[in-house]
Amino acid sequence: MTSTASSQKIILAHEGMANSRALSTYKANGGYTALAKALKMQPTQIIDEVKASGLRGRGGAGFPTGLKWSFVPRDITGPKYLLCNNDESEPGTFKDRHICTVSPHMIIEGIIIGAFTVNANKGYIYTRYEFQEEIGYLEVAIKEAYEAGLLGKNILGSGFDFDLDSYVGAGAYICGEETGMISSLEGKKGQPKLKPPFPAVSGYLGRPTVVNNTETLANIPWIINNGAAAFKKFGTEKSPGTKLFSISGPIKRPGVYEVPLGTKFMDFLNHQCGGMLEGKTFKACIPGGASAAVLTAEEMQNVTLDFECLAENGSMLGSGAIMVIDDSQSMTDILKVTMDFFSHESCGQCTPCREGTGWLANILEGIKERHATPKDVDRIYDIAKNMSGKTICALSDAAAGPAMSFIKKYGDEIKHNLGAEHS
Amino acid sequence: MAVFSAQLTDKIKSLVGRYETKRSAILPILHAIQDEYHWIHEEHINALEKDYEFNRVQVKEVISFYDIYSSTPKKPFQIRFCNNITCHMMGSQQIVDHLKDQCERTGFENCEVTPYPCLGKCDGAPVMLINKTRYENVSLENVDGMVLKHVQTHQKKELR
Ligand SMILES: Cc1cc2nc3c(=O)[nH]c(=O)nc-3n(C[C@H](O)[C@H](O)[C@H](O)COP(=O)(O)O)c2cc1C
Ligand code: SF4
Ligand code: FES
Repeated sequence: MTSTASSQKIILAHEGMANSRALSTYKANGGYTALAKALKMQPTQIIDEVKASGLRGRGGAGFPTGLKWSFVPRDITGPKYLLCNNDESEPGTFKDRHICTVSPHMIIEGIIIGAFTVNANKGYIYTRYEFQEEIGYLEVAIKEAYEAGLLGKNILGSGFDFDLDSYVGAGAYICGEETGMISSLEGKKGQPKLKPPFPAVSGYLGRPTVVNNTETLANIPWIINNGAAAFKKFGTEKSPGTKLFSISGPIKRPGVYEVPLGTKFMDFLNHQCGGMLEGKTFKACIPGGASAAVLTAEEMQNVTLDFECLAENGSMLGSGAIMVIDDSQSMTDILKVTMDFFSHESCGQCTPCREGTGWLANILEGIKERHATPKDVDRIYDIAKNMSGKTICALSDAAAGPAMSFIKKYGDEIKHNLGAEHS
Repeated sequence: MAVFSAQLTDKIKSLVGRYETKRSAILPILHAIQDEYHWIHEEHINALEKDYEFNRVQVKEVISFYDIYSSTPKKPFQIRFCNNITCHMMGSQQIVDHLKDQCERTGFENCEVTPYPCLGKCDGAPVMLINKTRYENVSLENVDGMVLKHVQTHQKKELR
């Protein structure tokens, strides 16, 4: 990787510019030229370009974006929808929030291009309630875009109509799961629905619906303007492009960074992020949000930040949320906080998830209160194993994976902390 | 007397017709009601049923499913304190315990603290939200000042 390539930004190109959120700034720096270009292309051409770019969804699952768009039926009449998933509730993740504060128009431009491609005439940005400031930025940008004729009827004289609205969640992690989000947008409890049918065929109000993550959509204008080949110059063969990483914990410069996929983790930590805080020693890392398996400092030494490498190491890139753990932390506490979270956020439809997350949280409470036995620690693993692959959505797996990884790697430490009578 | 103020009534009316289905307006309407009253009273639900023909069961299930809504009385200043992974590592538990004690004291009587999942700003850990305002890098030293200042600046609006 050359130094120019590693310092080039796609998503955060306007970070640090004065009034970077304003439509005028965005336009002065090439904003909405991709939209003008896309509106003159055939939708199938756009799909081909996005497919060729290799762009994979940035919401956690890494599904190829061009392929997802191609699943939307072209030949049917009636409404279709595009939903921007700005729920960003995966613990440790704060990158979509950052895009909203730097370039809300980049998100909107990506949404309009996506909507044109699948022929959707209505879209929503679904944002979590806790992002009040950022909801304000998005709503101002939507208003500016309407006033400039970039939203509404006959966009830029193309004959394409598209309306975009902002919708605000109400404090439920599960509404980040795409079908949970659709239920929520329909005014219901945010409960996920069994797939298939996939949203591309039957989503919001039973109509074809594309759900894409905020960062995924923000990549689209650049790809249209610069082409798939230019995009593939960043990153690795199977994970092209750059990625936003939200990194936090006891390190010198926590924050959001845009780096090419495939960047070596230790270089990223020590150079861009300034390394550990004075006096703290790197112990472990949760590399892809709370749903990702924990990796030891040793395992992290040779990790590169991309979909393949983290999967090979038994964890995942997920949402790109890296939580760095130092050796003063209790792994029991971190696991307990994580399981409390999943237990609280389980929507309750599936028994393995509802009961399993509750049991795990209870056992960990017992460990913390010092009335658990080593057998209880082993039971965490067994319960978690039985929670995987049996439920409507992936939350159950998201809880089970980290639980198993903590027991596998830090089970001895957790047993050691049971209290004198058991250890 | 009308249940909702004139302003809130206008807002509800505009939300009712804003989405593809009326039902989609339930969440935004509940946000608007709660912004004004801090919680959702039975009479609010009655009014939504009677004046706007919402199905009360559908409204109630939304209120109980989502953490933000409350059907029991709430203090005007809701402190949602993140106790997720990063904030926990950076010492949030101690601050939550401290705030729970503080909420019994003069100056904090209109405040209520709840531990809360990740607030999506972990690079500013520990993080808290007071109603709609986010505070970062909260510590045992600065938290009282942050809360008192927030209460002072916003009390006109919240304590109408
Ligand atoms: C429990 C759960 C929570 C999720 N939370 C989010 C989220 O906050 N934001 C997001 O973009 N995707 C989230 N997802 C993934 C979405 O279901 C979906 O895959 C994604 O929005 C698709 O967009 P993409 O293809 O652009 O990544 C979550 C999935 C699960 C199972
Ligand atoms: S796996 Fe859990 S969160 Fe997902 S639908 Fe089932 S109960 Fe709900
Ligand atoms: S862990 Fe507290 S804001 Fe994310």
